[in-house]
Amino acid sequence: MAIPVANVTRQLSSRTVFDALLHRSPISRAALAKVTGLSKQTTSEVIDTFVRQGLVRPAGRTRGNVGRTAVLYELSPDGGHALGIDLGARRLTVALADLAGRVLAERSEPTDPRGGAWVLDQIAYLAERLARENNTHPSRIRSIVLGTPGVVNPRNGTIELAPNISDLGHLNVVSLLTEKLGSAVVLENDINLALLGEIWHGCAQHVANIAYLSLGSGVGLGLYINGHLVRGENGAAGEIGYLPIGGDPLMAESREQGCLEYQVGAAGVLRRYRAAGGTVASTALEVFEQAAAGEPSAVQVVGQTAHLIGLAASAVVAVLDPQILVLGGSLGARPELAARVAAVLGSLAPRPVEVRTSTLGSRAGVVGALSVALRRLHEEFFGGSDLATALPLRLPPPRAA
Amino acid sequence: MSSSEAFCCGIDLGGTKLAAALGDSSGALLHEFVEPTDPRGGLHVAEQLVAAVRRLGAMTEGLRGEVSAVVVGVPGVVAPRSQRISQIPHIRGFEDLDVAAFLSDRLGTRIELHNDVNLAMLGEHALGGAVGCQHAAFLSLGTGAGLGLLLNGRLFSGATGAAGEIADLPQGRLSDGMTVTLEAEVGSQATVDRYRRAGGTGVSTVRELFTRANDGDAVAGRVLDETARHVAQAIVALQSILDLERVVLGGSIGVRPELLLRIERAIGALTHRPIRIGPSELGDRAGLRGALWAAGLALRAGSA
Repeated sequence: MAIPVANVTRQLSSRTVFDALLHRSPISRAALAKVTGLSKQTTSEVIDTFVRQGLVRPAGRTRGNVGRTAVLYELSPDGGHALGIDLGARRLTVALADLAGRVLAERSEPTDPRGGAWVLDQIAYLAERLARENNTHPSRIRSIVLGTPGVVNPRNGTIELAPNISDLGHLNVVSLLTEKLGSAVVLENDINLALLGEIWHGCAQHVANIAYLSLGSGVGLGLYINGHLVRGENGAAGEIGYLPIGGDPLMAESREQGCLEYQVGAAGVLRRYRAAGGTVASTALEVFEQAAAGEPSAVQVVGQTAHLIGLAASAVVAVLDPQILVLGGSLGARPELAARVAAVLGSLAPRPVEVRTSTLGSRAGVVGALSVALRRLHEEFFGGSDLATALPLRLPPPRAA
Repeated sequence: MSSSEAFCCGIDLGGTKLAAALGDSSGALLHEFVEPTDPRGGLHVAEQLVAAVRRLGAMTEGLRGEVSAVVVGVPGVVAPRSQRISQIPHIRGFEDLDVAAFLSDRLGTRIELHNDVNLAMLGEHALGGAVGCQHAAFLSLGTGAGLGLLLNGRLFSGATGAAGEIADLPQGRLSDGMTVTLEAEVGSQATVDRYRRAGGTGVSTVRELFTRANDGDAVAGRVLDETARHVAQAIVALQSILDLERVVLGGSIGVRPELLLRIERAIGALTHRPIRIGPSELGDRAGLRGALWAAGLALRAGSA
């Protein structure tokens, strides 16, 4: 288990130089040595290795005052690419980034309603098209993360409890997609990724303890505790559709779909709207839009929904005491919700907790997938995953292409 | 080897009794005692803590050592950095006192304060029913309800130290707009009140209620069923949020096997996903053993 000391030292140097390149490019060898505290010789050796591997390239020279100018270096845009995929029941979104974390392209289209293998083909086709449109051979995509609704089994890569996309649960998504795309695919729960997206580019930057409550087709929770995701024993942490809130938890629907989900999931919102005599809206989103326009049945249903989400949030806050609670998802990020959820929390929770609304909206999942894919790409290239805990690589700050 | 050996001390401070233990640098238990908590609260209790540490420290003199790390579990919320205590109804005047500063000033040693149920979780993780777990909870049921959490293999006490303060956990049927909370349904007083409302008489403690139920009192049995149903709902809620490997039940009511059976039955009616629950293996010493374990960790971290 012991790693030779020379290797550890080299890995540490590589990671330190890479981190500086990620955050301070373009930068000269002398400046790199200064900010990393490494010797000029070590810095130069590391840089030469990176250049040889095609991960770093020269990027002009310093504009000197007096004396010689120096070569500046930056991460090579062709060094390798990361792909993030957000697979939703309705929409499939794919984004491509280069080694330095620049988002090169993002594309979204309706999910193939036929489900299963059709969806996997759709993903492969979209990824390839995105790469070619950006003058990148698909084989340059070296790190792929796929976010999906449902519980990702951490042991065998299958998806459980994914009732919103047909036939996906039967497939070994990881091995099938890895084969199609030619690079290892990592699966993660879509809500966990949306949370990581908000942490990287969105409303939850620089916060260590976050509860991310998502409301869309279904209801779910992402948890970020002391800087780490909480996935639970079987990857099922955050499946708060099963909270015994909002109805009779002993009903068959509650046991099967989850008590809370049965009421506040998109289907539940529409069902309650019809039961209240509503006829105009035909989707949950339209119920929210009708409520904003003042239609009485819709106003009533959205009010109930906000109240139930507030109760669920109260349960989460009582158990976990997060620093902030983020509301996200296609319905969760609606402006109607935040104030009411905060009001219920205020009346139930023993201490105030800040409620924020997602700033990335429907992009949160794909941005989060990209952040994990980038991190994995960096770990692969800049080595020393044994050192990941001791010296974690920081993602670059948000920036567009 | 240094000439004097370092020892550590763990204390579990409750509303009615104080338990204290001495351990060596490996965390092994050397001695422990229990005494009533000074009912006057405030400074009197703080002085009592000082005396308890000194009493244990005196035992180390023969061993030519001294107490170098002290961990105290308190029945309240402890703020992570300031170590200030809040929500501590059973010890009067502790909110207004900087207990950590007082103790380290008087004892001249490292002091850590923690929530008592969090330490019980730590005790079960180190020595009891949650050894080897990455995700577990200690659910304490007695006068009130409290929760200690182990997430990703570490104790988690929340952004402000208030994780697991589940007295206000929303419960039950809410279609009528009424919100009932966990402690209002499962606290020992709530359970006794429920028995009286059902026509039962002559019972003033849950302990007596258990005896009645065991003797075949159908009303007492139904009251315990109802308490168990609410506990089961809380455990299902917990499980849906955290996906735990194990929920350890502790506290004066929580360890009763009669209740455990009823809770398991009620969980089965609520979900078909299995949830592993079990009684605390350390019983009413879980908090004390957790405190001593934490003190051992602090001692080794400090001398490293």
